[in-house]
Amino acid sequence: MDTAIKLSNVSKKFKIGCHKEQKTALAGIISFFSGKEAKKDFLALKNVSFSVRSGENLGIVGRNGSGKSTLLRILAGVYEPSSGEVTTKGNIVCLMGLGQGLSHKLTMRENIYLMGSVLGLSQRDIKIKFADIVDFSGLEKFLDTKIYQFSSGMVIRLNFSVMIHCLHYSKPDILLLDEVFGSGGDIDFEEKAIKKMEEFITGGATVVLASHDLDIIKKYCDRVIWLNEGEIFGAGNPQEIIFKYLSL
Amino acid sequence: MTIDYIKKTLSLSFSLAKTQFKLRNEGSYLGIFWYLLDPLAMFLIIFLLSGVLANTDDIKNYPIYLLLGLIMFNFFRQTTINSTNSIVTNAAFIKSMRISSESFVVSSAILSFFSHLFELVILLFFMIFFKISLIGFFLYPTVFLFLFLFSLGASFILASIGVYVNDINNVWSVLINLLWFSTPIFYVISFGSASVINKLNPLFYFVNIAREMVISGSILSIGQVVLTAVLSSVFFLSGLFIFEKSKTKFAELL
Repeated sequence: MDTAIKLSNVSKKFKIGCHKEQKTALAGIISFFSGKEAKKDFLALKNVSFSVRSGENLGIVGRNGSGKSTLLRILAGVYEPSSGEVTTKGNIVCLMGLGQGLSHKLTMRENIYLMGSVLGLSQRDIKIKFADIVDFSGLEKFLDTKIYQFSSGMVIRLNFSVMIHCLHYSKPDILLLDEVFGSGGDIDFEEKAIKKMEEFITGGATVVLASHDLDIIKKYCDRVIWLNEGEIFGAGNPQEIIFKYLSL
Repeated sequence: MTIDYIKKTLSLSFSLAKTQFKLRNEGSYLGIFWYLLDPLAMFLIIFLLSGVLANTDDIKNYPIYLLLGLIMFNFFRQTTINSTNSIVTNAAFIKSMRISSESFVVSSAILSFFSHLFELVILLFFMIFFKISLIGFFLYPTVFLFLFLFSLGASFILASIGVYVNDINNVWSVLINLLWFSTPIFYVISFGSASVINKLNPLFYFVNIAREMVISGSILSIGQVVLTAVLSSVFFLSGLFIFEKSKTKFAELL
């Protein structure tokens, strides 16, 4: 088996302000000349190294602020690592939470086109997938209704349907998930959604899944990495690591 | 930057612009008529005041002269103003996926291009009304291409600055007024010390060359054409360069 993701000694440094950061031009000029902007370095990730075999499902657990999302963003290429090296093989899709990207003043039909193109599909590809998306969401009746009149459950349904079908189309080699399971639709839809997600996770793609839902991690992941304050605290068998994580 | 990446960026920019265009007409009764009304109102005001504002007697076809200057500047203004916030308003996308952030800037240029098309329709009507040969009108796209690249370059620079400095849009709306007055839109290109200011303003060259082309149907001089071509490509390439250099940091700063 070849490796799909390889990280060696990756660190990520952020400059964070100690007190309220002023971002106006005048304040910028003043602090530039006085050299007095209080900032300190914050290491979000410290020398993280691991590799993931292709087809493997890796879980990431850790408290809030332990660096899970930073790690996923580095893998996705959204952030550049401050030091260290990242190598990935194949195309990557990163899903970080639902609910972004919908324009509330547009109709459902227009939103599907907008989301689709943001997620990397061409207009023609979206046309092909359009019927499936609408069918999956079960919102045929509201195709020309504007999103702001949707209930929150309907928004979640639409969002999930678009994302999952775009995913289906782009067939990523590496899938990065950051808490997308909390679907929030009704029981029927949630069941359908989880089943669809399962298809991807077990369907041969390499998956990195960061979640606070430990049952999901246990169920789908072959291996778990435990992040604590930017460092790998433990890695290995899901049962073992999660037991240790909970007993801390 | 690969061909594939450029293709993807352009297709995304186009669909983003289309959505924004629809959004802008959302909930308004006159819809796309606003695109015609805005430049027309501006045109009427200046035209009625023209005797006071500038000596327009020696300008041939003053209405066309004025309208063309107005709509060209309008394109530049809209593109750059939309771009200053374009990265910040799309922070959600940029933070959560690898997306070509260039598209947000390019889409605002395409959006302004859409409304520019409406303004060009007015210009066409004016030209027919004043019985001016339409040859110049069909030559206009070449000048517009230069203007487009130039505006895009400026937008790339502004969008990159906008990530670091929140109040760039306030600064820019002041600066753009200065640019407006230093471009000979409603007055004649003057001689002497005032013309130095005109010549320092890059927009002057685009407007100048377009007027010569549209009104007289002739090309000013090869030198002028080459100058605008060089000016626009230099701006475009350096803007793109600055944007490419700074875009890796965008996700962290938003």
